[in-house]
Formats: sequence, C-alpha cells, structure tokens
Amino acid sequence: MARRDGVITLSTEPRKLTFEIFRYNPEDPQSAPHTDTFELDETPFMTLYIALNQIRETFDPGLQFDFACRSAICGSCGMMVNGRPALACRTLTGDLPENIQLYPLPAFKLVGDLSVDTGTWFREMSERTEAWIHERQPFDEGATEERMSDELADAIYENDRCIECGCCVASCGVANLDDAFLAGAGLNRVARFMLDPRDTRSDADWFDIVAGEQGVFGCLGMMACADVCPKELPLLDVYAYLRRKTLGARFVSEDDKKT
Amino acid sequence: MTQPAVSSAKRQLTHEIISGGSGLLLALFMWGHVILVGSILTGERGFDWVATMLEDYYIAQPAILAIFALFVIHAVYAARKVPAQLEERRRLQSLAKGLRNSGREHVPTRTKHSPFRPHLESMLWIWQVRTGFIILVLGSFHLVLIGIDIFTPLYGDITGLESISSTARVAAGLWIPYAVLLLCVEFHASVGLYRLAIKWGADLWLSRAAMHRIEQVIFWVVLAVGALTLVVLAGWVDPPLAFLLDGGGA
Repeated sequence: MARRDGVITLSTEPRKLTFEIFRYNPEDPQSAPHTDTFELDETPFMTLYIALNQIRETFDPGLQFDFACRSAICGSCGMMVNGRPALACRTLTGDLPENIQLYPLPAFKLVGDLSVDTGTWFREMSERTEAWIHERQPFDEGATEERMSDELADAIYENDRCIECGCCVASCGVANLDDAFLAGAGLNRVARFMLDPRDTRSDADWFDIVAGEQGVFGCLGMMACADVCPKELPLLDVYAYLRRKTLGARFVSEDDKKT
Repeated sequence: MTQPAVSSAKRQLTHEIISGGSGLLLALFMWGHVILVGSILTGERGFDWVATMLEDYYIAQPAILAIFALFVIHAVYAARKVPAQLEERRRLQSLAKGLRNSGREHVPTRTKHSPFRPHLESMLWIWQVRTGFIILVLGSFHLVLIGIDIFTPLYGDITGLESISSTARVAAGLWIPYAVLLLCVEFHASVGLYRLAIKWGADLWLSRAAMHRIEQVIFWVVLAVGALTLVVLAGWVDPPLAFLLDGGGA
C-alpha cells in the first residue's frame, strides 16, 4: 500500500521498509554511536509508532524510544525522520520512501537511541521566562472574574496548543548551536503570556528576555520551526509580533503598563 | 557597581535594525542601480547623459561614498550571526540539507502558516551567507573601480564614467566577474527582502506564500533586466531601446 499526495492505492504486494536507526547508549561505556538496520513489511496505515513497536517486539527489545499518547498530544515521540523533525505517532510510513532513517532530535541531551531529554530544556526555558501568570494584586476569592473577549481567548489558546515536543528546537539552526536560545517553543510561550491580560508584566518588563541575545534577535530567520511544527503553530507570526513589540517597548512606551 | 550604559537587549535590537535597515536600503538602491545602468539599453547617448548628469550635479560622488559605507556596515552587522567556527557551519549545513532533502517524498500538509514542504529557507540562508561573501569581494572591487571613474575627473584631465570605457572593459572580460556579481546580488537581495518581510511582518499584509512568490518575481525580473544590460554593455546585443532617443524616426 502506498499513500502519495493523499491518493491511496492498494496493491497486493506490501512494500518492504528498511529502517536505519541510530543506536547509542551514553550510559554504557562499551556503546559506540552507530546505526542498526531493520526490515519490516508495510501494513495499511502504518505509523512510525507502530513500526517501532514491531521492531522492538520482533528484533530488539533493547531499542529505546519514547511514546505515551500515540495521538500527537503528549509530545514525547519527536525524532528526526529522514532529516526532518516529526512526531513518530503521526507520521505514516506511506508518506515516506522505503528507506527510513531515524535519528534522535538534535539540540537535546541524548537518553539513548531515539530517546532524548526535552524536559530539562523546557524546564530551563520556563524558569528563565517565568512562564506563569504574574499577578501583582493579592488574590481575592470573592471578586468576580474579569471577562475576556473570545478573540483574545482564541489567540491565547492558539499559542497554548504547543505540546513541547521539541521539533522546532531541533530544526532551529541557532538552537543547535546555542543551548540557551529560546527558539520557537520558548518565544511562543513568551508571546502567550504577553497576550494574556491577567499577566501584569508590561512590554518593558519583557524587553530584556524578548530582545536579549537568546531572544527573538538571535533568530536567523531560517523559518524551519514553523515548517516542522506538528501542531502547525503560527511561529513566524509569533516572531514578527515579538519583534514589533520590542520596537514599542524600546521607542514608544517604555513605562506603559498593561491595563 | 557600574551599570552598563546600554543593556544587551537594547544593543541586540539596535544591531538588528542596523543590519536589516542597511540591507533594505542596499536592496532598494540596487533597483535604482538597475535603472541607471539600464540607460545603456537606450544606447551610449542615454548612458552618457545619465552619467554626466549624476557627476555634474555632484550626486554620484556622495552617493558612492554613502553606498560604500552602507555596504561595509551591512557586511559587519549582517555577518555578526554567521557562526565563526567551521564545525558550527557544518552543523547548520547538514541540518539545512536534511530538511531540504527530507521533504521530497512526503507532503503531509500545506497550511497557511507553513506552505512549503520541503523546507528550503534554511538552505537559502546558507546561500545568502555564501553570496554575501562573494559580493563582499566582487562588490568591493566594483565599487573601487567605479569610485576611481567618478573621483579622478575632479583632479585629472579625464572624463568620468562614460560608455566608451565602460563597454570596452566589460567586453574585454569584466563581464565575467560582473555576471557572477549580478547573480549573487539579485539572489542575496531578493531572498533578504523576503526574509526581512517575514521577520517583521509575517502576520501582517501578505501570506508567506504570497511573499515567496513576490520574491521570485523580483529575482527573475531584475536578473533578466540586469543580464540584458550586461550583454548590451559587452556589445553583444544592440541597445533594444535605442529608438527612444532617435526622435521617433527610424
């Protein structure tokens, strides 16, 4: 079976898929980075999630890779599929050629084989950007919640759809060279809190993070983050929005606080 | 304890404005440049008239100094983000090549935000660096050459920029570096404008697909006019617009 450009053709002869998978266990001093090759018969609507599980069951129980939800929401199965970061659970083998190369996401610490530690990176980013609502008033449990327009709620939700899979970070040239660069996921998070009226930080408060060396001006404009994002977040829009916000904070309203 | 006078973030913003702004000005100048040199398409009289005007009214002399300054400023500030280590550049290159080559086989989705699969822009950035370095070398040579043409008449007994000497030296072999320079400049400028537009206004007026299309139209149109100008300068083709200066008669 092959799926090309949305057209599904059924044939009696299943394709033989060849998987070239990166293997390395950094914990094991005997282990050296190399690739192993596995062959599988393609089944209808096979995803890389299904294929990897078959490989682990049939050939090598020691193969390391991460999965939790198998429905593109937990963000743990990001990997380099033929040179491009993608979620294994949402990538159909039918969309790929017969030879499939799987490598772990770069820019993150390798746990082993295809498994990487995205958590440390995201935690560090969250702490640095203080990615939580900053409320200056003490909490008043008796007060009525303030209303928010549907448009604004939608805009915030759009940025909130990020599943922290790390595909944008792995595709980013800058993030590959600089661990501290905020990259698509980090700046998207910043934009989410800048939009939120419940967060009292002003554009001027954000300025050092957004315009700093690891912020939006570290970006080279290669646009890969937006092209690989499995959730298709408008990351280029986020970057443009943040760039213009820095202009406002620097030249127009340095003391202008959000109301 | 002493506070730094300007914060790192403010400096980053200033650098970004300088590199983007100088690039924008240079790209706009290049369109003007196409029109000025394009005067050769009307024949040698047209070319000489433009050159004499620019020199007699002292437009050319300050202009070339300003362009040279912008050229150097842009080189310094745009190059600040080019990785210094060869290993880092190789890393970027393999990443960009992987992204370019991976997308040929599968085209999962084309959305408003990301219309391009395979992803090419990372590779385009690397080519901008490469063409940038070529422009730095060949462009400096070109600017010095034209600078000599423009400034020596102020001190010596010769005329400035003129069609006779310009066409003669282009025909004699200068067309080779000029052809390379033309291709590099048009690529570098059109991709640069596209990237600049995305960086500051991806969510404004036009979609990314539209901006990409405009970029390609600009590239091919300006390249075609530039190539035609070059072959006319080299004397291989007669000026196609010569009839404009013939007073309407054949």
